[in-house]
Amino acid sequence: MAALFILAWVYLRIGLIFVGGGYVLIPLLNHIMVEQYHWLTLRQFLDGVAISQLTPGPLAILATFTGVRVGGFTGGLVATVFIFLPCVTLMLVIGRNYHRLKNVDTIKKTLDGLLPAVVGMVGAAAWSLGAASLDGVKEFIVLGIGFAIFKWTKMSPMVVILGAGVVGWLLN
Amino acid sequence: MDKSAQRVSLAEIFKTFFMIGLTGFGGGMAIVALVERVCVREKQWITAEEFLHGLAFGQILGPFSLNVCTFTGHHLRGIRGGILAAAGFIMPSFLLVSLLSWLYFTYNKLPQLQAALKGTNPVVIALIVVVAIDMGKKQIKNANGVVMALAAFGAAVFLKLNAAWILLAAAGWSLAVTIYRREST
Repeated sequence: MAALFILAWVYLRIGLIFVGGGYVLIPLLNHIMVEQYHWLTLRQFLDGVAISQLTPGPLAILATFTGVRVGGFTGGLVATVFIFLPCVTLMLVIGRNYHRLKNVDTIKKTLDGLLPAVVGMVGAAAWSLGAASLDGVKEFIVLGIGFAIFKWTKMSPMVVILGAGVVGWLLN
Repeated sequence: MDKSAQRVSLAEIFKTFFMIGLTGFGGGMAIVALVERVCVREKQWITAEEFLHGLAFGQILGPFSLNVCTFTGHHLRGIRGGILAAAGFIMPSFLLVSLLSWLYFTYNKLPQLQAALKGTNPVVIALIVVVAIDMGKKQIKNANGVVMALAAFGAAVFLKLNAAWILLAAAGWSLAVTIYRREST
């Protein structure tokens, strides 16, 4: 029970600072789940990113994965509800006051202006996660192929990740 | 709210967004495009202009795919409509991830699964690298942006600063720049 309260509190806080699009969650969740609370190993975290890419939902569905790890199905439900609680509430408030809110220039510009920091953080996440989990030439070759596919084709991440799973299964 | 919007039932809202959540593979903008096609063009639940405003507001906090669903649902039937639209949209992914996570944590030790995940791991990192590059091309427009991106990278990699603090610092930085530009024009 206590674990569920901690889970709810942790995800509520994440939901409140969830700005700059879904990928900001990778550095955020990596820090909280892996380094701070030790709920997941680095490897499990990366597997969770892969699993969350297999669904149509936003990357934030990664919250469900970590929630399931901590508290089973209920944990997943608590994590999912609380990470989305702030943004759903905000959209309801905005919808309600929509006609008075058309002048939000400063907020909009400020949010656009912090996006370069999100870029730096996502790059940093790739750096740290790669440095900690990649070993062997084979993995770097797979990374290179994956990079080329994501960069120069329109193939969906879901298909690429499923394909990579099959390749990994055949190779190892 | 216009008259036609009043007649949409809550069950209809839930069902529509559940279907979007079930079939909207491709994430982010692909989902927004799907919501636009269904709610603006097919069902005419919301005008294109209002939908775009919802999308702009949806950038503020959280995933904008979810936010446009909440916004459209609220437009139709108020708070209950918004909550049902959001819940309907998230539910298919939630159930699928719950199932997959449970399988993952139960059969973690299976050598076949381990082998498959060894293949996905580098690809996930490749995906993150590509996201950083593509976002960078789009979002870094001037020297200020370059400095901010490098500072955030350095703070995360070398100083190991908490991601939340970096985000807050960047928000303060960006707010200061916005106000400065406004004052000086």
